[in-house]
Amino acid sequence: MLYILIFESIHKVLKAEQILAKNNIKFDIIPTPKDFSSDCGMSVRIDTLITDIELVKTLLLKNELNFQIHKKEI
Amino acid sequence: MKTVDAKGQLCPIPLIMTKKAINEISQDESLKVLIDNDISVKNVTRFLEEHGMKVHTDKKGNVYELIVNKTGNIPESTKAEDYCSLENEKVANYVVAIQRNRLGDGAEELGTILIKAFVNTLPEIDQKPKTIIFLNSGIFLALKDSPVLDSLKKLEVKGIKILVCGTCLDYYKKKEELGVGIISNMYEILERLSNADNVIYP
Repeated sequence: MLYILIFESIHKVLKAEQILAKNNIKFDIIPTPKDFSSDCGMSVRIDTLITDIELVKTLLLKNELNFQIHKKEI
Repeated sequence: MKTVDAKGQLCPIPLIMTKKAINEISQDESLKVLIDNDISVKNVTRFLEEHGMKVHTDKKGNVYELIVNKTGNIPESTKAEDYCSLENEKVANYVVAIQRNRLGDGAEELGTILIKAFVNTLPEIDQKPKTIIFLNSGIFLALKDSPVLDSLKKLEVKGIKILVCGTCLDYYKKKEELGVGIISNMYEILERLSNADNVIYP
């Protein structure tokens, strides 16, 4: 299962990226899929086969990063 | 004439059968290959042509007859599977040449995130490039610790050629850390660039 995490701004995405990388979490940066937002934004993609989504959520919320989360079937 | 019957076989089987047969016959001898699907005809034709052989195709009912004169060689190391293109994977004749580990001019952190999104989008789009070339600091994206390694591997499996500048790997002392693609030189890189219909420099 894939999760797409959408943030308020590119600055928040950059911050989220730093936090996840520091914690050795595997993720991808992708352009926000058109079906979720028409903004030209970036999102974080998490693959639950290799990454624990709950850990990601906890880490981001602890750092006061808000996000929308969307499920994407592979 | 030796005949290979690849009817009912899907890629990569016709390619593998053709390679085996070509290597069994002598130079200038002819080979006939029977195939019953368009995709395999295209793949086998491309496979042979890229190895310096001309293919003559005839269609009889639902079966294609490919006749080829052995005027070239297929090295043992050539992977026939690499010439498989799936029906829904359109490979367009364009090349992406990545010359830096960032995209565009401006803030470094923005450029870094943009190039990641760029590469991660390539496996998702319909019109995939034929070749991706990494030059200068672009080579950092093809190393084992690259954040876009998975996407590049996905593309490589789909038959997209990934070439990494050998001089650049050498300069940055990263030859041992290459994670995807093959080490290439300026001859091959320039050949790929000049043969492309379009080149994208992100």
